Amino acid sequence: MTHSATRRQRRVPHAGQKRFWTRPLLWGVLLCICVAGIPYAEGLFRWLEPDARQVIYQRAPFYALLGRHMLVVGAAAVVTIAVGVGAGIAVTRRRGRDFLPLVAQLASLGQTFPPVAVLALAVPILGFGTLPIIMALMLYGLLPIVRNTLAGLQEVEGDIKTAARAMGMTPVQILQRVELPLAAPVILAGIRTSVTINIATAALGATVGASNLGDPIIAGIINGNMAYVIQGALIIALLALTLDSLFDSLQTRLRQRLSAFPR
Amino acid sequence: MSLLDALPTPRLERGSYPNVVLVSLSAVMLAAIWGLDAVSMAPNRIVQGAGAGVMEALGWPGALLASLLVLALGTLAFRPNPTNYSAALGVVVLILALMPFGLMVAGHFLIDPALPQARLGIGAGYWVVLFVLLLCLIELRLRLALTRLWPMLILAGVGLLWWLCAWLWLGDLALVQEYRARDQQLIRAVGQHVVLVGVAVSISVVLGTLLALLMRRYARLQKGAFAVLNFLQTIPSLALFGLLLAPLAWLSANVPVLAELGVSGIGNTPALIALVAYSLLPMVRNTYIALEEVSADTLEAASAMGMRASQRFWQVRLPLALPVLLEGVRITTVQAIGLTAVAALIGAGGLGTFIFQGLGQAAMDMVLLGALPILILALMVDAALSALTEVLRPGGVQ
Repeated sequence: MTHSATRRQRRVPHAGQKRFWTRPLLWGVLLCICVAGIPYAEGLFRWLEPDARQVIYQRAPFYALLGRHMLVVGAAAVVTIAVGVGAGIAVTRRRGRDFLPLVAQLASLGQTFPPVAVLALAVPILGFGTLPIIMALMLYGLLPIVRNTLAGLQEVEGDIKTAARAMGMTPVQILQRVELPLAAPVILAGIRTSVTINIATAALGATVGASNLGDPIIAGIINGNMAYVIQGALIIALLALTLDSLFDSLQTRLRQRLSAFPR
Repeated sequence: MSLLDALPTPRLERGSYPNVVLVSLSAVMLAAIWGLDAVSMAPNRIVQGAGAGVMEALGWPGALLASLLVLALGTLAFRPNPTNYSAALGVVVLILALMPFGLMVAGHFLIDPALPQARLGIGAGYWVVLFVLLLCLIELRLRLALTRLWPMLILAGVGLLWWLCAWLWLGDLALVQEYRARDQQLIRAVGQHVVLVGVAVSISVVLGTLLALLMRRYARLQKGAFAVLNFLQTIPSLALFGLLLAPLAWLSANVPVLAELGVSGIGNTPALIALVAYSLLPMVRNTYIALEEVSADTLEAASAMGMRASQRFWQVRLPLALPVLLEGVRITTVQAIGLTAVAALIGAGGLGTFIFQGLGQAAMDMVLLGALPILILALMVDAALSALTEVLRPGGVQ
């Protein structure tokens, strides 16, 4: 490898770095503008809904709703990632291999259960409020993460693992330094799918009394007030787009880092 | 990202070491039997029931029988061979078949015949055991290398037995009481639900296939269409239903032809449009990938054999793409079954009405009555279409 080639390789990810973060930043700024600006856009929504008594959702400020929405999705995501990636790792080890088919089937069963039904069934056990929706999101978001963790870990070539063993690495080291880094982009793709789906699905929580961005939507449907529905939907869509583009950038970066090593 | 949205059935080798999976599942079941409430009793439909453990519900003979059966399952798993697996399958079916009789015994012990409104709820322990038994069935199917048809047959038989018991002897059960109070309504709701899902999926299959074919022809369309469809998925289903209310109401008020066709702001039309919009992405994606994935070598071989372009499509590309395509139909249908429940909020009817009415009245039995059929419907469609996919996969079932 010549000197100039090394330098070019160092510069390429650096030059791309700015490009990576512009899109999520753009969506994020748009999201903030919407959250802060909707209360002042009464004229616009008045034009949409001329007969309604109120056109701006007032029961809670939008930043509070957004915060609670993100909290619900985040809590579900943390548990799902821990359980999903943990299970994926466990069943690809020698000890846990017996559980592989069951875990794979269980995860796909989780997505067969419609979130509304899970939500409804969780209410008698967990009561009204935020807990049932977190549970429904966990079940619904598990499949993409488990599936991608399994796929990512199984795609790591046996030769690479053998080489790592030959270098004297312990199984834990192989997992930490070889398998997980190589599988990371695929696992991240799973997390991305799971989180993006769940941002939209979390709005269902408003039907069982969880206060989040689904609230304006439900209130709008019940009162026939289109403005409320649009306010809720707009913020949720922007949140989803922000996080989706954030994950996209992370994925691109990870992939670049993996392929940046000179061959 | 894997191309299929579900993992294929893995093949297993039979070992002589204990089957850890079944042993741990048995342990979970034992813990659920003794640690969780088996049933609950409530004086009427609004009051939250009081739980009762297995000793109270079944008495010691019943508790002993249940524990012994589960222990037998665990013991059989210590020496895995085909005979023992078959025996374990028998034990699982036996437990499943005995479960409604346990409820009868519990009803006999716990429900005071003097209270006509008193009802027996199924407790957490019962649900956990039922779910774990389902997992055992899956595990045993994989170990015995049975086709998907077997568990379906078994579950159909067990379901029939449960239905018969509920019909004849389980009048105390809350679910049965709730059903008897509004059986006509429920049957109509199931019908509405199935029709809505069926129509929405059929439309999206046709539209999705057309779109996928167009995308293959005009590459420029591909990026834009996927971007639009992806964006549609970020809008919550709830909002999409809500957003369609106003424009459709306006249309039906101002365009009389549409109003005559039954288009209105509330009800089936917005539900159908939203369902189709949501179903298009998985449908188009799977169809597109399915058609693209067919190996170039196979197609070249086909043209070398003198096939025309249309022959290549109908006789080679489509049959090879069919399993992945059906995978898309499966995902779409299961998703639509869940979304249709949400559509009840905008007056589309279906099983969601029971859920949301029940939630509104805090009558959990009614919620259960709506949610269970949705769950069963989703599982049935999933199983049936998975089985069909397996049959159509090149090589088919052995």
